[in-house]
Amino acid sequence: MNVQASQYSPSLNEDVAGIGTGPVPAGPYYRDDYFELERAAIFQRCWLQIGHVCELPEPGSFIVRPVEVAKTSILITRDRDGKIHAFHNVCTHRGTQLVAEESGSRPLFTCRYHAWTFGSDGKLRSAPDFERFYVEKSQCDLHSVAVDVCAGLIFINLDPSPEQGLREFLGPLAEQLETLPVARATVFTEYVYAIEANWKLTYDNFQENYHLRFIHPRSGAAAGGPENPFGYPLQYGFHGPHRTQRIWTNPNPKIVPTQGFAFGKAAAIAAADGFGAAPHNRDYFALFPNFFILGTPTQHFSHCVMPLSATRSRGVIRIYWIGQDDSATKRFAREYVMGTIFDVHSEDRAVIEAGQRGLSSGALEYIHFQSQEVLCRHLMYCVDQWVQSYRAARTAAESA
Amino acid sequence: MSTAQLPPGFEALEPFVEAWSIKGANNRLQRRLSSTEAERVAFFDAGRGLLGPALAYLDRKPLQELDEPEERLMRLMLSFAHVALAVEVQGDDEPKHARDARYLTITRAPADQSP
Repeated sequence: MNVQASQYSPSLNEDVAGIGTGPVPAGPYYRDDYFELERAAIFQRCWLQIGHVCELPEPGSFIVRPVEVAKTSILITRDRDGKIHAFHNVCTHRGTQLVAEESGSRPLFTCRYHAWTFGSDGKLRSAPDFERFYVEKSQCDLHSVAVDVCAGLIFINLDPSPEQGLREFLGPLAEQLETLPVARATVFTEYVYAIEANWKLTYDNFQENYHLRFIHPRSGAAAGGPENPFGYPLQYGFHGPHRTQRIWTNPNPKIVPTQGFAFGKAAAIAAADGFGAAPHNRDYFALFPNFFILGTPTQHFSHCVMPLSATRSRGVIRIYWIGQDDSATKRFAREYVMGTIFDVHSEDRAVIEAGQRGLSSGALEYIHFQSQEVLCRHLMYCVDQWVQSYRAARTAAESA
Repeated sequence: MSTAQLPPGFEALEPFVEAWSIKGANNRLQRRLSSTEAERVAFFDAGRGLLGPALAYLDRKPLQELDEPEERLMRLMLSFAHVALAVEVQGDDEPKHARDARYLTITRAPADQSP
């Protein structure tokens, strides 16, 4: 059945990346000195995905997020006028971490140490016995961090004066992201993991399908098929430091009964939300440096890999939904869909850690990327570009 | 005798209420991961034909208005989602799969946040 539709005709264009095909140095995947450069060159200067606007539903809502790679904690608020702000979660008196909760809602933040009190706009409102200080109140506001929103996703930039705005940084992808369900999401499912592996090595696992048939023989069966056994995507796209791929799907996958039932319901819910045949249904958007989101409305998940050290990371996967569960069927479909994505991810962790142990041994000077691993190659290429340009600027500044 | 814990029509699932009618997505996942194959298969076999009828029954009311037996049935069906993945998709691989899956934690789900 449906033989015509199952013909796979790749129109791959990895050459357009223009990043060569040679071996790639292994050091950046485990060396502490390279990680220190990434920390300064990328994570202190680049837009980083940190949350979603549905976490700040009303004036006074706030979230607190650790950004370990920058050794900081970020407080993100929605002020009385509805405007979103980001601050270092640090009292400007003597540096005490201001908010201990992960999220909540309140108009004022009071430091537990000496009761300095800040508004959700970051302004210092009151401080006991302040007249005995030697500073103006207006100089004591919370230290703000650049923040902007695209497609409902909240991004921060720890550079005090970012070189690019978020829209400029995302380029043409900004408009495409705005068409995804995440732009209208009001709730999400989330699961997390800790991993003994470099952030790039971890992230790379999710940029190639080469491993699917070996690591996910059961949970990932629909990603391959006789006509495309390695699950090559239909297309790649390279957009500055970001990259996309259009994922091929086996048109005649083996579907077990509950899967067919649950995905039938999930597809009906997506169609009711207006995402029956959306233009980016099979597109994967990888946003530099450490975030990606799959456009598929029935499995609309994002994955962010936060670096902790050269060889430790944590992953945060979110599945975005529009509207609360409003029926038993919707609630069931969401739980099942979550399980399908969860099952795939849970199978990856052990092999990524095994990869890290091998690389950290120093046995390999180089690793090799195949045609389908061009997205992994592109990430490393862009990381190194940022690192080298940072180094060059630093050297120039030192010799000036 | 009125020891029924589930709405009428779902008597076949009564023996599974205690083990599988669980609050919280992560708790349901953990129950799957610590279950035996015999437990999973017994629940799956009893539930497979009742999933559609159970959801149709529960869909007649807004979720906030479910009474206790209906709420139990809802949670049972949510656990069924996890068990179905184990039985139908993973099959023999489930013990190996479960070993790796224990390193992930579900931290949020809409089912845990609204009634």
